[in-house]
Amino acid sequence: MDVVLSHIVKRFGAIAANDDVTVHFAAGRIHGLLGENGAGKSTLMRVLCGVVSPDAGTLTVDGRDYDGLCPEQAARLGIGMLPQDPLDFPPLRVWENFALGGGQVLARREARGRLAAVCARMGFTLPPDVPVSRLTVAERQQLELARLFDRDVRLLILDEPTTGISPAQKEALFAVLRQFVAGGERVVALVTHKLAEARELCDQVSVLRQGRLAGAFVAPLDPPAILSTMFGAETASLAATPPPPPPPLDAEAVPLVTLSNVAFADTKTVLKHLTLTVRPGEIVGLAGISGGGQETLLRGLAGIAPTVAGSLTVAGQALAGRSLPHFLRAGVHYLPASRMEEGLFPGLSLLDHLRLAFPEARHEARAIFANRCVAGFHLTNVPDAGAASLSGGNQQRLLLSLVPDDTRLLLADNPTRGLDAASIAQIWEHFRARAAGGAAVLFFSEDLDELLAQAGRVLVFYNRRLVADLPAGRFDAARVGELMTGRADGQEERA
Amino acid sequence: MTGRGSSLVRAGFALALALGVTLALVAAAGAPPVATLLVMLTGSLGSPTACLRTLSAFAPLLLCGAALCVTFGANLWNIGVEGQITLGAIFCLWLLRGAGDLLPPDLAVGLSLGAAMVGGMLWALLAGVLRTHGRVHEIFSGLGLNFVATGISLWLILGPWKRPGMASMSGTEPLPPVLHLPLWGGRPMSLWGLLLALAGFVFVAWLLRRTFFGLALSAVRQNMTAAGRLGLRPRRRMLAAMGLCGALAGLAGGILVAGLYHRLIPSISGNYGYTAILAVLLASGSLRALPAACLFFAVLTVGSIQLPLELSLDSSLAGVIQGVLVLTLFAARRLWPADTRGGA
Amino acid sequence: MSLDYFAALLGAVLFAAAPLLLAALGETISERGGVINLSMDGTVLFAAMAAFAAARAFGNPWLGLAVGGLAGAGVAAVLAFFGLVLGASELAVGFVLTLFCRELAYFVGHAAARQPGPDLGVLHLPGLSDLPVLGPALFRQSPVVLLSLAAVAGVWFFLMRTRSGLLVRAVGESPAAAASRGFAVRRVQILCCLAGGALAGCAGGFYSLSVKPGWGHPQGCEGAGWIALAIVIFGGWKPTRVALGALFFAAIQVAGIALQDVLPGLSGTLFQIAPFPVMIVTLLVVNLRRSAVFRELARRVPLFGRLMPRTAGGAPGAIAGALDKGF
Repeated sequence: MDVVLSHIVKRFGAIAANDDVTVHFAAGRIHGLLGENGAGKSTLMRVLCGVVSPDAGTLTVDGRDYDGLCPEQAARLGIGMLPQDPLDFPPLRVWENFALGGGQVLARREARGRLAAVCARMGFTLPPDVPVSRLTVAERQQLELARLFDRDVRLLILDEPTTGISPAQKEALFAVLRQFVAGGERVVALVTHKLAEARELCDQVSVLRQGRLAGAFVAPLDPPAILSTMFGAETASLAATPPPPPPPLDAEAVPLVTLSNVAFADTKTVLKHLTLTVRPGEIVGLAGISGGGQETLLRGLAGIAPTVAGSLTVAGQALAGRSLPHFLRAGVHYLPASRMEEGLFPGLSLLDHLRLAFPEARHEARAIFANRCVAGFHLTNVPDAGAASLSGGNQQRLLLSLVPDDTRLLLADNPTRGLDAASIAQIWEHFRARAAGGAAVLFFSEDLDELLAQAGRVLVFYNRRLVADLPAGRFDAARVGELMTGRADGQEERA
Repeated sequence: MTGRGSSLVRAGFALALALGVTLALVAAAGAPPVATLLVMLTGSLGSPTACLRTLSAFAPLLLCGAALCVTFGANLWNIGVEGQITLGAIFCLWLLRGAGDLLPPDLAVGLSLGAAMVGGMLWALLAGVLRTHGRVHEIFSGLGLNFVATGISLWLILGPWKRPGMASMSGTEPLPPVLHLPLWGGRPMSLWGLLLALAGFVFVAWLLRRTFFGLALSAVRQNMTAAGRLGLRPRRRMLAAMGLCGALAGLAGGILVAGLYHRLIPSISGNYGYTAILAVLLASGSLRALPAACLFFAVLTVGSIQLPLELSLDSSLAGVIQGVLVLTLFAARRLWPADTRGGA
Repeated sequence: MSLDYFAALLGAVLFAAAPLLLAALGETISERGGVINLSMDGTVLFAAMAAFAAARAFGNPWLGLAVGGLAGAGVAAVLAFFGLVLGASELAVGFVLTLFCRELAYFVGHAAARQPGPDLGVLHLPGLSDLPVLGPALFRQSPVVLLSLAAVAGVWFFLMRTRSGLLVRAVGESPAAAASRGFAVRRVQILCCLAGGALAGCAGGFYSLSVKPGWGHPQGCEGAGWIALAIVIFGGWKPTRVALGALFFAAIQVAGIALQDVLPGLSGTLFQIAPFPVMIVTLLVVNLRRSAVFRELARRVPLFGRLMPRTAGGAPGAIAGALDKGF
């Protein structure tokens, strides 16, 4: 299987997501597509599997030229994609999801038989009668891969496959991919923004930057060269420098947040027996795979998930069992991971957002916009623009500007997901400034590298329990990875 | 095409298509199409009396339409507006019967309108609480409560409030003339009804456009989760919207009792609630277009009353035309989309 | 209470439930495919009129029933066109259609009002109808009872055991995932909508040709479509539970009539409107079981835990939250 994308152009409005991009996916190779968020990698892959058609350029598959593909064509040619978020049918059973692989719906017996065969071939264990909603993220990935393998996929695209899975599960996935291309006929296209993964797995790498092909490299890969291609020379050095170490904490300071045997009951998860203190000025990172319970801690501290047991005190105020406005008054603010769905109003202007967040000062909204949003956060939009038109980075900037200055506890769920490097740096600078001002910041990041780099303290969750509380200097990727997946006993690490 | 131009094209297309479909339906039902339209026009606009009748149908429609703009502004489908009109009528009559001879007549009538607002508001809050705290969608609770309201009014008409001697489906005992809303020069319409409707409309326009409540309500409409996170208390705002809508709808019921029928009849809400919903949909949620839509629908409703007598057609033709018009407008909006505005 | 009386009661409940069953099953198929058809009530009414008028015109009630089904599918086709092809809000269009069909039914049916017409008659299967209790209830009845029970089995088998039914469920759970796998999502949804409309149309025919024969102004089945919509939610989108829900509501109606004999003082209107507050209460119970308060209670008292719904939510993914969010 040999696929060439030649001179692909794809525009969305005025922005060129792909601008004259040429990539050659050679058979038997694992080809990495690197670039920071917003560089155009996902768009290019969507062109490849037929979800969008390019405005210009050609796709050449095994010698035949196409102006663009439709999804059925791409599937017939053997192109398949494992998307970043699982796109399956959660309430249906594993065998039913498999039977709905595409084309004809399979009958029950045939579906179960083929599922078992593929699983045996790839070394997966998937129970056929369990509803998919009960599988872990890694198992859902395996089911998707099983479906694609059964449909004889020859060019396998993976879009950021390692978010939300543990290091050990990542190794298992990589082994499957290496086996997949071992025959010399099939290709893997791996879309990622993590250089370390690309180094570990890829034979070849194409780097995209701002919609254009910035460089192509062959293994063994040279990190500095690739980094400067990804970000441009100045930003590369910025991205490569480690963040400043957090200032030493005052051990005598009165704790800002105290939890005593607290239980938070979220929609699907219940987190019990939490006892924890957080001091002003701390930047605490939460680590865990999906279902570990770390999001529940954030939502419970924010007042979104009700506290059903124990006592919770923030800045001297007892908040257990109280409604969300009480949390807001105590100075607790939450930044959601889905910024538009949970935090913004698409039809309202940016000024309206300010008026709603600061009702007493709503007649000075324009002045506030100039001071906070533009000067403070470098928000580049016009104040009367609708929120729906904001880019990811600007959405986060707007959300941050809506958080009052006297916030004592800032809770952030994946604050930098999908953002470009400049925005990421700015956000971390802002968090550090808040911590220096006496607030505490708790954040959850699926990106373990970011977590370990930015946090002064790490709380590790596994299976709805807080399994480890690691102070500065006592955590590294291996240790946290093991704790996250329950492979180590966290007892001796509780501070 | 500019926004203004394309909305005229849409309106024109919708009107033309609706007219065509209506004429086809009327012809299929075996009646002369053009004569039907003429009968409807003369029945609603052909004489001063007819015009007054149209205006007296316009008043409750406008009031309910403005009320519904408040609930639509919070993404609530207040189908229960029919029941709220009925409860308003019941509360109004209850006060007039009870206190009509104890208080000076003007005060009694004024208080009865206030009671009407309270009645409508309570009925709306019932559906509202079922939504905010029981997560029962307001379509189901509204409809269920509509039927219950009809049942209550029937029970009152045939039971405790029945005419002395024999219970009659033509309604309860009529009120003495001193307890009527003042008429307009002896004609069959009360100016007060129209004035109250216009006042209600202006109040709603001010509330939604110029107050923080209106801004908060549109935030709740667009993203209830985010509104909660900002501390805007969405549930409280939704209940306030429902209560306000119910109060205005109840007022419409009070006007119907005190100003038009002077007694309680079965189905006093007379479909005004559902027609008002259609009118708001026709106006695409825009307050500016609402009076015109309500007037148009009032013309249709009043004009169709003559149909059974003159042409042996059912008066539900008005409802047919109203439905077709809204559907054709939906189609036109999809075929010629407008620029994004703040409307619903 | 003698066995005969019990049999008669059972028969009356099954008879009253037949149209509700059909309408609710039709909406179950439609909503499982991801399409909410709010025009149910108007469709049932319009189809009742169409079925009766056609039965009068052809002199054959079965032909009338077929016309009723077609009329229901026709209304659903309008909804599908506006909602799925043109892309308008299917909830708004559905609501307008329900009002429109109601008015249209009364307008077009003006000539057939209060006229006599054929009805579907009563079966009398020898042998089977002599079984104790079940015999007269099922087999010495209008054929609508057997037809509706057959529909329950048919719809359950279709959704749960056939490949097309699996596709319908998948499309309703996640249209995006189905589309990405190359399935013709819009076609499946249009078909589900039409099937739902056709069954609702037959329900209308059941009313005007058997359960409440004839056509008048007002017709006796007003509000039935809304109850059917609530039954689908109450039954958790599962055909067997939906059937039980329909029987429950029919039992309320029948109980009203039976109790009127025993307690003549209670007003007739009370029983006419009784299904509607019950509808609200059932929806309340369904939602309360999913609420945070109940979850907490279930954690503390294990007995309540048994009452917790096993499946999370229950609504097909495509429509989950559509009714919560508003239009």
